[in-house]
Amino acid sequence: MPTFRRLLGFLRPHRRALWGSLIFAWAAMGMTVLIPWLIGETVNAIQDGNKPDILPLVGVILGAAVLRLGLTMVRRVIAGKVSLAVEFDLRQKIYGHLMRLELGFFDTQQTGQLMSRATVDLGAIRFFLGYGLIFFSQSLLTVLLAGTVMFFINPWLTVIALLPAPLVVLTAVRYSRQSRPAMQEVQQRIAELTAEAEENVTGIRVVKAFGQEDYQLLRFQGAVSRLFDQSIKSTRIQAFFSPLIGALPQIGTALVLLIGGNAVLNGTMNIGEFTAFYTYMILLSSPLRMVGMALGMAQRAVAAGNRYFEILDRDPEIVSPDDAPPLPAGGGAVSMKSVSMRYSADTPEALSNLDLEVAPGTRLGIVGPSGSGKTSLVALIARLYDPTTGSVSIDGADLRSLDVTSLRQHTAYVSEDSFLFGDTVASNIAYARGEATDEEVHRAAELAQANGFIEELPDGYETVVGERGLTLSGGQRQRVAIARALLADPRILILDDATSSLDATTERAIRSGLAEVMKGRTTFVIGHRLSTISLADEIILMEAGRIADRGTHTELLARSALYGSLITDDREVEPVFIDEEVEVAR
Amino acid sequence: MSENPENPKRYRGEDRLRKVRWVLGLLRPYRKRLAVMLFAVVVASATSLAPPYLAGRAIDAGILAGDERALTLIVIAFVILTTAYAATSYLQTYLVGWIGVRVLQDLREEVFKHIQKMSIGFFTRNRPGALISRMTNDIEALNQLISAGIVTLFSNILTLVGVVVILVLLDWHLALITFSVLPLLLITSLVFRRYSAGAFKETRERISAITSHLQETLSGVRVVRSFGQEDRHLTRMTELNTLNRQANMKTVYLNATYFPATELMTAIGTGAILLYGGYQVINGNIMVGVVVSFIGYLQLFFDPIQQLAQLYATYQQGMAALDKIFGLLDTDVEIVDRPYAVDPDRIEGALSFDGVSFSYATEAERIGSADQSVRWAVRDIDLDIAAGETVALVGSTGAGKSTLAKLVTRFYDPQRGAILIDGKPLPHYTQRPLRRQMGIVPQEGFLFSGTIAENMSFGRPDAMIDEIAAAADAVGATRFIERLPEGLETQVGERGVQLSSGQRQLVAFARIMLTQPRILILDEATSSVDTQTERTIELALDRLMAGRTAIVIAHRLSTIRRADRIVVLDNGEIVETGNHAELISAGGYYEKLYNAWTS
Repeated sequence: MPTFRRLLGFLRPHRRALWGSLIFAWAAMGMTVLIPWLIGETVNAIQDGNKPDILPLVGVILGAAVLRLGLTMVRRVIAGKVSLAVEFDLRQKIYGHLMRLELGFFDTQQTGQLMSRATVDLGAIRFFLGYGLIFFSQSLLTVLLAGTVMFFINPWLTVIALLPAPLVVLTAVRYSRQSRPAMQEVQQRIAELTAEAEENVTGIRVVKAFGQEDYQLLRFQGAVSRLFDQSIKSTRIQAFFSPLIGALPQIGTALVLLIGGNAVLNGTMNIGEFTAFYTYMILLSSPLRMVGMALGMAQRAVAAGNRYFEILDRDPEIVSPDDAPPLPAGGGAVSMKSVSMRYSADTPEALSNLDLEVAPGTRLGIVGPSGSGKTSLVALIARLYDPTTGSVSIDGADLRSLDVTSLRQHTAYVSEDSFLFGDTVASNIAYARGEATDEEVHRAAELAQANGFIEELPDGYETVVGERGLTLSGGQRQRVAIARALLADPRILILDDATSSLDATTERAIRSGLAEVMKGRTTFVIGHRLSTISLADEIILMEAGRIADRGTHTELLARSALYGSLITDDREVEPVFIDEEVEVAR
Repeated sequence: MSENPENPKRYRGEDRLRKVRWVLGLLRPYRKRLAVMLFAVVVASATSLAPPYLAGRAIDAGILAGDERALTLIVIAFVILTTAYAATSYLQTYLVGWIGVRVLQDLREEVFKHIQKMSIGFFTRNRPGALISRMTNDIEALNQLISAGIVTLFSNILTLVGVVVILVLLDWHLALITFSVLPLLLITSLVFRRYSAGAFKETRERISAITSHLQETLSGVRVVRSFGQEDRHLTRMTELNTLNRQANMKTVYLNATYFPATELMTAIGTGAILLYGGYQVINGNIMVGVVVSFIGYLQLFFDPIQQLAQLYATYQQGMAALDKIFGLLDTDVEIVDRPYAVDPDRIEGALSFDGVSFSYATEAERIGSADQSVRWAVRDIDLDIAAGETVALVGSTGAGKSTLAKLVTRFYDPQRGAILIDGKPLPHYTQRPLRRQMGIVPQEGFLFSGTIAENMSFGRPDAMIDEIAAAADAVGATRFIERLPEGLETQVGERGVQLSSGQRQLVAFARIMLTQPRILILDEATSSVDTQTERTIELALDRLMAGRTAIVIAHRLSTIRRADRIVVLDNGEIVETGNHAELISAGGYYEKLYNAWTS
């Protein structure tokens, strides 16, 4: 089992601690096994009327118990440390790897799937490595030790008493295998229910506007009853297995009482031995169950491990070569030579055999129908993707020879859907330059026309936005994203439909700010509004992954019908009167 | 009339009692199952007590007495009782689970219905996260209390009482010795629960911080990559990961102290029984089987005490959740249908504002302050809109356009004046039937997860598929829908993320087309779309407004020009009305706005 071996590899750095905890665990178990034997001896002494032996025997029992206390405490602390260290390592490793994988990888994966690997699967692995393994060895050792002692007392009775043992283990394995997935499924249903509740609360205005409260209630009831069904399924599993596992060892106990009792009656066994046997039967029920549970845990851990390693084994496709130099100094000249690109083998080419030379400081507009390759083209500049054939270079250096991080720190890309992190507005703006001063942050916000609304937020620049904070409108998010890009002070600035959610008045206002920061940088602007495109000194018209034409706005307007149909004259149809009315929140 | 859900209203003790009684009331519909469950709990608890006693009897009455028949009978009883235990335990676990989940299902729906009844003002005052939590996390916390709590309470108290009775009956001297360890165990358990509750809560918070950071990094991976900020995220993750490890380490220390300590107490108890019981046996006062039974019962004694200590923590969490849920259920609905309100038949759509003033400030804030200092969102609005007329509302931020729209839909009631539809004030009609005759299009067309067809038929869930297709066609959405792989059955994703903003608007329009409202209230989108979509939207708007009263919060010049009348608002008051040409020639506020743009 290679996966199992690899999983054990995570324990290697902690092997000394692991052995330590195992030894302590075994020693503690030794005490636990010793105690019933001592109890049996004491009962014998009592039965024999041997009064002077009782006190010392009780003393030894207490001594063993104190020793066990110490051993168990140390064992628990060491094992806890190992388990947490393994969890730490597992998480760092997968997260670090996710951070190294190229963007193309994430295009093909669902976030939910990745999340589940990094949380649920990771949990299953660390639970087994951290606890399961120790429980398993400890329980197995208990069974073996107790079994040996019992065997010495009475071999036949031992065999009979342990008859139900394999059944207990098997039942526990099945329980462990079935209960966890069922419980996870319950969690899944809860998540779906939460989504349903969330939608109803956030969309309440629409619900009320259409008077559709009853319909929404029906939908919610659907989610509630799906949760109900799954919860019952999970309860059933628990209700079935849990008493079964509790009752099965009792069969062994009954056999001990009957056969052992008769043995005492026949005089082949004494009453103390019998008591010890009985006590061992009580003692064994929990380790037997643990052995089964741990086996189930191991199975789940291997399955989870397979999924975990699947990500870890996927090599990143975009990496910097060893000792790669940073981006050389320059003014931001971009050159593409016979560049073709496709996102995956079974999709058509997004860019085909394209050549492009952009002089330093150029403001290049990019216009084209949707799907013509505008976004793919600019994504190549920051090496978010690699071209399938051909090469891209900035200031004379082929991007593939450069240190990727240094390259990306000199390019700033603002996309249409401006993603903000769940942090303060200020931290979001200073995302690319954590050391920026407040003045710099405010200045960037001013240039992006974000200053005004930010100051009106409940906590101004310190307002937390994103999923757990305040929801900004699309236009507000875009302005924060632009401010973030401006503060990065990039050599190359890419605006990919970055002002589409702004009303035209704001967009006009932003233009002067942008015009100011574009000086001395190479800028790529994707858009379809006249006011956006008028920022560019030169425009390329894209069609089906190629550059169909290149020229100034006037030139293109004169000679290309396609170009004319793509450009919106925003004076008539674009939003004019701003409405950012913020409802007074109380 | 306060709608603040965190507001405690009544005295604490009395309040607790009321809430607990209410929770018990939720159980009423299931009392038959509850009775069966309680029976199962009693039998299961009783049968779980039998083995140690029977083992003791086996020794004393069977083995030591040399009575083989008695031994066999006792073992048979042992097997029967064990089987009975397994069976009733199954019944108990299953029924407890069933009742608990069922009651929560009812409760969840109750909370949901109550939230739905609340007026819009309530939703602006309360964070969505808090409201969602009432329907999810808080209910889960109650689940612990209801399903686990009730059984733990019953079965453990039963076991405890049973053990005490058996031990006292067996030998009350030895029983007293055994009980002497109890207070120590109880105190240790309570102290442990007290500290561990905080520690475990911290671990849950830490792990959820990690999960949300991970989620965010994955959703924002494009931004992370394009700014080359991987190291920053790695550092943050290492921080969170370390905090998580530290928080968990605390629980490791707590567990490493508590559980071994209880084991030690068991051993002390055993020692005491052996010592005292041993002497008693030798003195001939009791039989050795009694001692063996006592040792067996010791463990049965310890478990319930530990679990009852745990129950205390569960109780506290459950009560905290119950308080929050009650905070919500105790909140009164602001806008309720009057007893005399009637279901409107088809309305014509004539609309009048008669001296309407409205402020978002609460009643308490308004009372006692001079009229001038009240922040009116709209003030002294007088406006008559004929049936079928299109009115564009224009004005700068905060002028009161959206507020007027919200008053028409009766999301809020004005403090002064009245809004009349077909000559009757709004409270004259029942709310839902009235709103069904209004078509409200918010700025960013909110879509629900589901298919395009489901979203389009939102206002009329019974609509046939060809009606939906016709509505889609009428607003010009067919072109983009046809290009989608599954057409009308395409999933739009959460809040419609799979569609572009222009497409979302068209879906929202089709939704209105299907309900055929008499009054259209449209908050025009501000985001720009490509030229083709723009033209489609314009055409769709024309179709939507035809033959209906329409109030448009207008952002586009083209829309404003087409309106029958433009109402210019400033600072909550109407400053100008008229059509485009009239207002331009009037040379007032509108002309200034217009020139500012076209210059």
